[in-house]
Amino acid sequence: MFGLGRPQPSSAEKIAAVENELKVVAEMHSRMVKICTLKCIDKTYREGELSKGESVCLDRCAAKFFEAHQKISDQLQKETQARGGGGFGM
Amino acid sequence: MDGLTPAESRELDQRLQKRQVKEFMTVFGNLVDNCFTACVDDFTSKALSGRESGCISRCVLKSMSTQTRLGERFGELNAAMTAEMQRR
Repeated sequence: MFGLGRPQPSSAEKIAAVENELKVVAEMHSRMVKICTLKCIDKTYREGELSKGESVCLDRCAAKFFEAHQKISDQLQKETQARGGGGFGM
Repeated sequence: MDGLTPAESRELDQRLQKRQVKEFMTVFGNLVDNCFTACVDDFTSKALSGRESGCISRCVLKSMSTQTRLGERFGELNAAMTAEMQRR
């Protein structure tokens, strides 16, 4: 992973890298839950259980969320490069 | 991630534990905000009405089921996305 001549990452850097990656994933999870709840769950809370419709909606919402994430990531990268590189290190 | 010494592993575990506690508090906070906003709108009294109380209970149950279900889907989708990114 690290080429010759590059200094080895310190303990702190290795730990920070793992922690940071988990943080990114956790944030995505949290955002997805918030948005899919908003889009799929009946706000009147007449029932304490998920209906079949709500369950299916949640599954589909999650799948679309990931697809949108990937699509946007790809397009943003492409557009950024087309516009001369920009400042994003994606 | 490979290459962590036992000491580094312990440090990481400690940090992750702290992070988990923080995350639980966030989930709890969101739950309160969400269920209060959805269920409580009658300010003719300072005590929760029976209707509001029941709504909050159902909201908590439903929210927990939602978290569980989305947690499963997220795990599957994230694994697939990671695999795809490594393939590219």
